[in-house]
Amino acid sequence: MIEEQRVIDFHGHTGRLDRYNGVDDPALVLHAMDRVGIDVSCVFNIFHPDGTTGNDITARFVADHPDRFVGFAYVSPMMPEGMVAELTRAIDELGLVAIKLYPPYTQWDLNEPIWHPIYAFANDRGLAIIFHTGTDPHSDPGLLADCAAQFPNANFVAGHAGNVDAPRAAAIKAAQDYPNVYLETCSTFRTPGVIEQLVNEAGADRVLFGSDIALMDSRPQLGKIITADISDEAKRMVCGGNAARLLGI
Amino acid sequence: MSLQFAFSPRVPVFDANVRVGDLHYQPSPCRNRDQLLAEMDRHGVEKALIYHAQTEEVSPIDGNGFLEEWLEDSRLFPQWSIMPTPDSMAQVEALHEQGRVRNVRLHNMRYVGMPFRPWAFAPMLSWLSENRIPLWIPLPDADADELATTLSAFPELVTVLVGAHYSHALWVRPLMTTLPNTYLELSRIEPLGEVEALCSEYGAERFVYGSWYDRLAMGSMLFYLHHSDISESDLELICAGNLLRILQGEGRHD
Repeated sequence: MIEEQRVIDFHGHTGRLDRYNGVDDPALVLHAMDRVGIDVSCVFNIFHPDGTTGNDITARFVADHPDRFVGFAYVSPMMPEGMVAELTRAIDELGLVAIKLYPPYTQWDLNEPIWHPIYAFANDRGLAIIFHTGTDPHSDPGLLADCAAQFPNANFVAGHAGNVDAPRAAAIKAAQDYPNVYLETCSTFRTPGVIEQLVNEAGADRVLFGSDIALMDSRPQLGKIITADISDEAKRMVCGGNAARLLGI
Repeated sequence: MSLQFAFSPRVPVFDANVRVGDLHYQPSPCRNRDQLLAEMDRHGVEKALIYHAQTEEVSPIDGNGFLEEWLEDSRLFPQWSIMPTPDSMAQVEALHEQGRVRNVRLHNMRYVGMPFRPWAFAPMLSWLSENRIPLWIPLPDADADELATTLSAFPELVTVLVGAHYSHALWVRPLMTTLPNTYLELSRIEPLGEVEALCSEYGAERFVYGSWYDRLAMGSMLFYLHHSDISESDLELICAGNLLRILQGEGRHD
């Protein structure tokens, strides 16, 4: 909690990322969150194309601290036949509340038809979907405009807000054009002025704080919001107000 | 601790890693010294060690010349860039004779086919070591084995490794162990809990705060350090004390 504002981290991973010294140790994760007032972190596991394996890991992780974590479901069109069934299980049985997709682990641009059953599922239920977006062609956030237009009841979140200049501009354009496109802030680049750009050009009500925990510590990622040259009211929306609205939590 | 949407550091801050000037593909957000000082003021940064963008992109010699116009202030301190060529060495040696060299920076030269090996760098590293001039080395694109092998041959040379990222996480610790006179600059140390873990394993005496502005936003890591489980005295060392000691030629730990 920061100045009575509940803080929600919209981007986190379960699973061990040992190659990068990123381990989903709940004690370490909670310690980082507690030191800077993060109340809730959203977590998902993207390392298993069946979805089931990772979603079960996420559900167990959340179950140990249900007041501090919410889980997102992951599925992949690399195993398309099971996508909707697994989403149904993950949302209805495991209690996960949104969807994470990772186009670089697939062969398809994020607006291609093979993804559409996922979007239709989210559209029917009014769910949010967060994507990895960036320079990878499959992850071009400009493509979210197509999805947002076709599935207006789903909310599409550009994870990393495109990461670097050109995809970031495309992400902002998509958010300007469609009310169901949001921009999430975590990035190892931490380029000066980016938070200000997202807020000023897309609107503070469309930007979501995220950290990429446990790959990265949530503290410097929150720090770039806190130290950005934006109003306190904008910080409130970015740090938690928008996420609470989007997730209904 | 009462958390707020405003943040300012509670200890003096001397930023060990600030870039000024334009890259050919990226104009700097600070067009001049006054704008840089204003950005530092906004983040509560008292002093900064600055190098010029042109030194890393094209020419250390020209870039060092461009750096001069940024220096007429008691808050901005020069970091001259160097490479192992006669012209570059002559420039830095001349500055040294004027008493103006307290540290230097070596940009990666592997992209022009020059590995960081003793046969290529020994004369330069010997000169720096003899004159107790600490050397900053950016880690992006660096080769861990070259760093360990070459710097081990100059054990008295104090070095500051800059910009370790999570993709360097597996070799930062062995390197710190192998090279006792090496410091780690913290601008990109983002693995979970890593600041506390590194300070616990190596002592806060081995780390310096740098923002790597304008490559990175200035305030994020300061915020992180101020919300880490390290003592106030360790925080002071990391934010300014260690850097001051290094610049005074007292950075050796062995």
